[in-house]
Amino acid sequence: MKRSFALPLLFVLACKPPTPAEQMDAVVSWVSTAGMAGDAWLRHTTPDNYTRQALQLSNQQLLEIGTELRKSPPPAIDGATLDSVLTRSRFHIAQMARLVEEKNAPDFKTQLDSLRTDQRLVKQLSDSVESTQ
Amino acid sequence: MKKILQLALGVITSVGGFLEIGSVTTAAQAGAQFGYQLLWAILLGTLCLIFLIEMSGRLSAVSKHTIVDAMRERFGFPFFFIVLVGMVIIAFMVLVAELGGIGFGLQILTGVAFPWWAIPVSFVVWLLMWKGSFSLIENGASLLGLVTISFIVSAFKLHPDWSGVASGLVPSIPETDKARHGFLAVSILGASISPYLMYFYSSGAIEDKWDRSYIPINRFIAGFGMTFGGVLSMGVLVVAALALQPKGIQVETFPQAALLMTTALPRWGFYLFAASMIVACFGAALEISLAIAYFFAQGFGWNWSEDLEPSKNSRFAFVYTIIILLAAIPLLLGVDPIKVTMMSMALTSATLPLAIVPFLFLMNDPIYLGKYRNGWISNSVVAVIILISFVLALISIPLQIMGG
Repeated sequence: MKRSFALPLLFVLACKPPTPAEQMDAVVSWVSTAGMAGDAWLRHTTPDNYTRQALQLSNQQLLEIGTELRKSPPPAIDGATLDSVLTRSRFHIAQMARLVEEKNAPDFKTQLDSLRTDQRLVKQLSDSVESTQ
Repeated sequence: MKKILQLALGVITSVGGFLEIGSVTTAAQAGAQFGYQLLWAILLGTLCLIFLIEMSGRLSAVSKHTIVDAMRERFGFPFFFIVLVGMVIIAFMVLVAELGGIGFGLQILTGVAFPWWAIPVSFVVWLLMWKGSFSLIENGASLLGLVTISFIVSAFKLHPDWSGVASGLVPSIPETDKARHGFLAVSILGASISPYLMYFYSSGAIEDKWDRSYIPINRFIAGFGMTFGGVLSMGVLVVAALALQPKGIQVETFPQAALLMTTALPRWGFYLFAASMIVACFGAALEISLAIAYFFAQGFGWNWSEDLEPSKNSRFAFVYTIIILLAAIPLLLGVDPIKVTMMSMALTSATLPLAIVPFLFLMNDPIYLGKYRNGWISNSVVAVIILISFVLALISIPLQIMGG
């Protein structure tokens, strides 16, 4: 009986830390999630509550991954560039979450376009980390 | 006509058991990360399940015993107790995940966080169990479950490359992320070959008073129902491969999964996803709660039937009441249902031999099945499933560590 409970605990504790490539994949994933949720909101196909939550979650996740990446930046890329693109992305996402509340679609679109530019840059950085693995 | 209507048992077993938070999560993760490459795991899981479900129904129709009844009778109480502990722990984790899945569906629709839904959702599940009959649960869940067809519609609307889909049905090893690939394959198989489905289905056959005349329809129900569930799961994987993979979105959380159908069905995709998850997880929660109560009642020789008044099978009703109440607690504390799901899928794989090996003995026992016992085809398939289950049992834990 004790073993049955110990096993899941062992799983959780034993999971290996993510590699830099996996962390960059996660960054791409969360920036893209915010972009996709933003697109859907602009098309009026998702409720405000959901969009706000998805954006806040993306922002939170990017903050956590960014903190980890800052401690040990991937050697293949410039740490300052990564830091600045992450900060910008988080700013755009935070603005988008605020603009959802204000139901301000034109300004939301401007922030979303800027996020898309950062999304491409993040993808390039992720690809360069991947190619050195 | 009544026998044709029994198809509902196959559909609810399939929608409630096959398409639930575990299979949606694992299929979406697999599609988002590896494209069509893991379709073979769903196909393999579906084929295994078709055979296991057919055998479960045949055992009940011929012997008038459920699997649990027969297992306790044939192998004795101590062995039954070991299986009980293993199955109940895993089924409990799956129940937590399913109740959380309903809560998540409601969260994305309303904005109210899923822990707040733990009590209302558990209460509704319990109330339906307490007041409802087996046929109400069976027919209601399977009718509502048809909303999940939207995954298949979405897959077609995204115009998949069919040659790529076909090649995904053949096992392959990726160049990178082998551990993650292996972990997802094990999780998909764990989500598909869930022993509680067999226990639920064999008990359902007794609830529906099957006899030998149901053997042909049982074969059809198992084949149709499980194929239906398998195709739905494949639909989820294909949609994730086409809608999420190109954007690099990995499905780690429910809000990410909610975007699955917004590309294919821009107007209704989000709401259909939420409805599909609520219905599928609701069906699964009912099915698992019943399966756990059946397991206890049949194992300990209590009265049991979802059609009886709770006062006439109070211990059966007590088990599902307690289990639903306990399952709400981790959700109230904010435990992430997706993490519970992934852990329970790997644990299901690790404990599969415990459920499948005794089943092979039962299906060859002339005392229970007479001339309807397994032929060489069924035995070969179960032998392959046992082999797979042993391999899964050995590799699921290392893969969980390396790729989970």
